Amino acid sequence: MLTYILKRLLVAIPTLLAVLTVVFFFVRIAPGDPAFIILGDQASQEALAAVRHDLGLDRPLPVQYVDFMATVLSGNLGNSLVTHRPVWQEVRNVLPYTIELTVTALIIGVALGLPLGVAAAKHRNRALDYAARIFSLIGLSFPAFVSAIMLLLAFAIQLHWFPVISEAREGDPLSRVSALVLPAVNLGLIMVAYVMRVARSSMLGVLGEDYIRTARAKGVPARVVVWRHALGNALIPVVTVVGLYLGVLIGNSVLTEIVFNRPGLGKLIVNSLNQRDYTMLQGLMVVYAFIIVIVNLLTDLTYGVVDPRVRQT
Amino acid sequence: MRSFASLAATLAAALLITGPLPAHAQKVLNVGMAAADLGSLDPHRTANTPDKAIIGWMFNGLVRFKPGTMNPDQIEPDLAERWDTSADQLTWTFHLRKGVQCNNGYGELTADDVVFSLKRAADPKISSFSSDYADMTSVEAVDPSTVRLTFKNRPASVLGILTNYQGGNIVCRKAVEKLGDDFRTKAVGTGPFAIEQYTPNQSVTLVANKSYFRGAPKIDRIVYRYIPSDATRDLAYTSGEIDLIYGRQDQVWAERMKSLPHTIVDVFGPGELSDLSLNVTKKPLDDLRVRQAIAYAVNRAELVKFKGPLTAREAVSVVPHDYLGTDENAPLYPYDPAKAKQLLADAGYANGLKISIIQTALPTMLNTMQIVQAELKKVGIDMELNVVDHPTFHAQIRKDLSPMVMYSAARLPVADVYLTQFFHSRSTVGTPTAVTNFSHCSVADKDIDAARQTTDVAKQKALWKDAQDKLVKDVCAVPLYEQLQVWAHRDKLNFGYKLDASLTLGPIINEQTTLQ
Repeated sequence: MLTYILKRLLVAIPTLLAVLTVVFFFVRIAPGDPAFIILGDQASQEALAAVRHDLGLDRPLPVQYVDFMATVLSGNLGNSLVTHRPVWQEVRNVLPYTIELTVTALIIGVALGLPLGVAAAKHRNRALDYAARIFSLIGLSFPAFVSAIMLLLAFAIQLHWFPVISEAREGDPLSRVSALVLPAVNLGLIMVAYVMRVARSSMLGVLGEDYIRTARAKGVPARVVVWRHALGNALIPVVTVVGLYLGVLIGNSVLTEIVFNRPGLGKLIVNSLNQRDYTMLQGLMVVYAFIIVIVNLLTDLTYGVVDPRVRQT
Repeated sequence: MRSFASLAATLAAALLITGPLPAHAQKVLNVGMAAADLGSLDPHRTANTPDKAIIGWMFNGLVRFKPGTMNPDQIEPDLAERWDTSADQLTWTFHLRKGVQCNNGYGELTADDVVFSLKRAADPKISSFSSDYADMTSVEAVDPSTVRLTFKNRPASVLGILTNYQGGNIVCRKAVEKLGDDFRTKAVGTGPFAIEQYTPNQSVTLVANKSYFRGAPKIDRIVYRYIPSDATRDLAYTSGEIDLIYGRQDQVWAERMKSLPHTIVDVFGPGELSDLSLNVTKKPLDDLRVRQAIAYAVNRAELVKFKGPLTAREAVSVVPHDYLGTDENAPLYPYDPAKAKQLLADAGYANGLKISIIQTALPTMLNTMQIVQAELKKVGIDMELNVVDHPTFHAQIRKDLSPMVMYSAARLPVADVYLTQFFHSRSTVGTPTAVTNFSHCSVADKDIDAARQTTDVAKQKALWKDAQDKLVKDVCAVPLYEQLQVWAHRDKLNFGYKLDASLTLGPIINEQTTLQ
């Protein structure tokens, strides 16, 4: 098992290096000058040149690239061009917010989506099934930023249950929870829709299998058939979707963080883009790439947990 | 379904525990700004709108614009109590107010700080505004409370560049030297409010300077929140989480906010003038008739009607309205599409012509150009807009890649600044001394330079008027409209003065401001 994990992590290294290279050149293809953005539109050419020199942006691109790779390979993501603080420190400041948001959304998604999907499959073509399918269709077709505004209108403006600005006050853990609810529900509802659809169709497939009919014929109670015999096998596609969707979730978290004005990687990335903070963008992309690699690995490991057949191979 | 019910119950329980948020603590002013994060609090090193407003609450100049105004004739003492000038107006001596304290415990402000600060503002390697101080040859401390400035040429407005605006903001030397890079987020001045905390991507908190020389502020803290999403900012205002909000510069927003209870919409100067610069060296714009045709085709009244008369006004010249030296009756070309068509035909474009330009995706600027595009279409000019994001736009227009450039700006309200930066050949893009002359015009160089040399105010104004008339007639730029600043605040906030204008593009919050 350990060798497997190590092997997978080793394979991830070239992926990360490729991501680094692509990101390095892509952020520089976009026109826009960090020095100009730092100093504003009245700065002299001399001032701009001085800032570019300080930031090392006046060096040839290949030199900057080699320097960047050397920095990263030494385990350092460099310093932000704008704040001059280590990129890793800036990321670390907000990473917990993004993680708590995505993980909570994931939990909401699975906790609601899975039972809904199973129930829909069990009651195929009946009222519950239709309701669940309509709900999932709505969930899938709503852009995250629209549902976010609707949630704010309902729960922050009308009911005053939650703040509009989802930021935690220091030394007040409850405010952190209340700041998390709406954004997590917003992201989670989309996740519910995905999980529900996959769980339903996968469950329908499994429920038609011979061994299920056998179990039923043997007089096993319906609940046990569904939850013990069928669900295990139906889970594999669900795990795949959850793993794949975690990437989408991180993307949607950018929009969610912006609308709920929540600190996190999303707000950081949008700001870095606007400021052409090359090193920050590079660092963020590495972090994103790394998260995706880890999630994929975790997904593969989960297969083994839910399906003994995978473990054996 | 049972699990759903139990989750809903848990959620409801969590809500009961959390409860509604407590009301704002007394005397904390919550401000919502349209930005994702702070750029810099260093007044010499940032020109971003979101940074300007907050800097205005933290610093003083030797002199200042009277709060709520931007009239250079009404500049009043700030850190300097009084000043003397030599007969040739090339030497200025400022006598500082005694006992002014730098914020955050950096000690008394002395002439040494002022000298350091002005030298810093003039240093092109550090300052974004060094060109304003190009004529300053020396700045020295005569004694701890006297500063002497000498100029090789008299700047158009000596007091103007020493106000609490951009490079004129006085920073405390010890703080700059001690904090280094951290000065960006922990800047120290002598203003009514001082930095308390900066939370990246979230907010800046300022605390009242209880020993402010004009008296302790009546507001204890200001929390300046960065809320980039317009919708969220509006909702946060509606829910009561912010009391002062940076608005969208459009009529619809202003009207909607006006309809909210206990809300006052602030529309104030400076107007950011949108000039459409035409590159007189590039075909087909090198032909005066084509440029005139464009000028005749633009309908300023229609633009203002679209933008909304509440938040926009027609341009009066190539220099914004109300600056010292603006020609309020510049000979702008009237709207006359028939004449425009005739001129195009005379220039050999009877069948129309096509121009491709670079345009920012910033909504307020883009929709303006879409109207201009439609207006030009009516006379046979097919203007293609290559829409790019804002940083890309700035980079590309400075590489001289767009034959027409729509640029919105407000500057120190003295005609010289606008004329020099936008229309003096020295400022032409692509040259080593480039600023923002996109038209490549040089017709007004002599007038602009001569106006700087003279000490005769009437003669100076006449020269500036000549310069503007030449630029208008030669169609170096087509003035479009002026966009006013739009904010809104709850009526429990009282600025303490009448807000007609603010060069920091936001209301000044000072010792007079109260919050009930």
